[in-house]
Amino acid sequence: MELQTKDLYNPSMADIVAVEELTETEKRFEIQLPGDTALKHKPGQFVEVSIFGFGEAPISICSSPTKRSTTFDLTIRKTGRLTDKIHLLTAGSKVGIRGPFGNGFNASDFEGKDILFIAGGIGLAPLKSMIDYTIDKRDDFKRIIIVYGTKKPSEILFPSEIKKWQERDDVEFYMTVDHADADWKGNVGVITTLIPPLKLDEENTVAAVVGPPVMYKFTAMALKAKRLPDKNIFMSLERRMKCGVGKCGHCQINNSYVCQDGPVYNYLRVKELEEAI
Amino acid sequence: MHLKNPLTLQNKGYVFFDSETMKTFISFLMNQAELIAAHKKGESSYVFRAAENVDEVILDYPRTIQPLKKFFLPPRETLLNFNLEENDFDVPDMETKKRIFFGVHSYELQAIHILDYNFKRGNPESNYLKKREESLFIGISYTPDEYHFGKSVGLEIEKTEGMCLYIEPMEAGYYMFVVDDNGLKLLTEFSSETVALKTETIKPQPKEFQKKIKYHYNRLPQVFDKVYDSSVWKKVSEKCVGCGTCNLLCPTCYCFDVRDEIELDTINGKRERFWDGCMLNTFAEAAGGENFRDKLHNRTRHRLFRKFKYITEHSGELSCVGCGRCTSFCPANISIIDIINNLIEEVSLNS
Repeated sequence: MELQTKDLYNPSMADIVAVEELTETEKRFEIQLPGDTALKHKPGQFVEVSIFGFGEAPISICSSPTKRSTTFDLTIRKTGRLTDKIHLLTAGSKVGIRGPFGNGFNASDFEGKDILFIAGGIGLAPLKSMIDYTIDKRDDFKRIIIVYGTKKPSEILFPSEIKKWQERDDVEFYMTVDHADADWKGNVGVITTLIPPLKLDEENTVAAVVGPPVMYKFTAMALKAKRLPDKNIFMSLERRMKCGVGKCGHCQINNSYVCQDGPVYNYLRVKELEEAI
Repeated sequence: MHLKNPLTLQNKGYVFFDSETMKTFISFLMNQAELIAAHKKGESSYVFRAAENVDEVILDYPRTIQPLKKFFLPPRETLLNFNLEENDFDVPDMETKKRIFFGVHSYELQAIHILDYNFKRGNPESNYLKKREESLFIGISYTPDEYHFGKSVGLEIEKTEGMCLYIEPMEAGYYMFVVDDNGLKLLTEFSSETVALKTETIKPQPKEFQKKIKYHYNRLPQVFDKVYDSSVWKKVSEKCVGCGTCNLLCPTCYCFDVRDEIELDTINGKRERFWDGCMLNTFAEAAGGENFRDKLHNRTRHRLFRKFKYITEHSGELSCVGCGRCTSFCPANISIIDIINNLIEEVSLNS
């Protein structure tokens, strides 16, 4: 039998349609694949973004596929040579895109349930694809609770979306910053301080957690204290990835390739994977 | 857990070659295709390379420094050529030239078989698989030295799966066993007449392995179920220098890094992949500097678990083939056999 092989590493040269500066270090890029084709992604999936001469990196998709247009959004933080270069790009530039990769969130795990989104820092970007999805299909879900924490007020992402979430009656939005500035009037403290006051129907609440590595253990403990069953917790994990297709080995956590089995894992699986969090 | 049963010497019969006929046969093969064979590198080191001269081809050698993987997964490979002015790329032509790999040991073939599995699984990768097309393998028996342990991982010296011919040296020459139709075709073309194969049973001198794993290989996956938190990992890492030689020389390691290089004209460049190794400190470092396996003992454990558990769980075969390279070339004299036997000892003491 002839095996169907693929050229796995060829990017599509996609257009940057719009760029929005979100913070000092984060920008949102709206991207269109060639030929006006849609990416056909699931919330929580990622793409490999590249600029020739600077390399390639995995970036979460922050828009929901329920968006009407064929474009998708990436929120990119300046952290190195490649992302510094991407930040210099303007509308009309081209970037290489491969993907979508990874499992993404399974809508069926969340349908009919109260959804608790817990986002730390730039973790709001991957979660936003799922938040938008649940809001666009509002009737499929019960409560939508968003808990968001950043280090400083100046690092808050998506202020216009946050304003809309705060204005909606059918979305509960809570946020905190680790360190306030003179203008900040909201909560101060780490994100886990927002969890104890929540009133949750624990059996019917499903949590989706994305944040920096240090956040996962403490969030899991806080959710456990709320008696949320392990199986109701989903986490999206970040790892180094070079290929996105289960070959290069960099993203491997024990026997699991994050680019293939993840990045979204049920907490029961996370507990089996000793190196996960 | 029962691992897949290794086949041993399967053949349709054999012919006898004296040393001169063997040389003529090698010359014949060199005219058929590119012939890759073992060659002397230093006093007692060997490499696989394309044969240019029959007299330089080595049949009796313990192991080469680099395994065969370098021909299918080159240490450095161009994935794309790009042009910065046009912001576009093209894909280099992938070679599918016919190659005959001559005089390779059974563990080398098993390693290729494991690489095939990993490059076919999930997303079949054309870069590797295209290079694998049109490869013929002619095996040869070997005399185990103090580092080989093929039998302990289920690989007899005369395991011929994947070979077309198999050579067993004897006093006055060589038995040339025909393993499959490709082998028979080569022999027929060589002698330009019908080959009369002998089928009388012959018994090659039995060869003993000096190094042995204490448990049968079928029990190794169970051992690895119990040793995740073993103290052995830390003990090993006290000696380990984290150089990654064991990764690079392992015939079944295939992890890679990808980097872009711009040429001096600042217009053209290429995206290349390089061999990488999970023993190297930066292997699991993510953006932002978080390193998910920053401890040497965790990396050692990861390497061994990939050989004996993680891939075995779905392939049904061990990913260690007993070639002994990681041990014989380790600058810190760490022995993989000792690691496994220490793990076994710990498990048997605790059960």
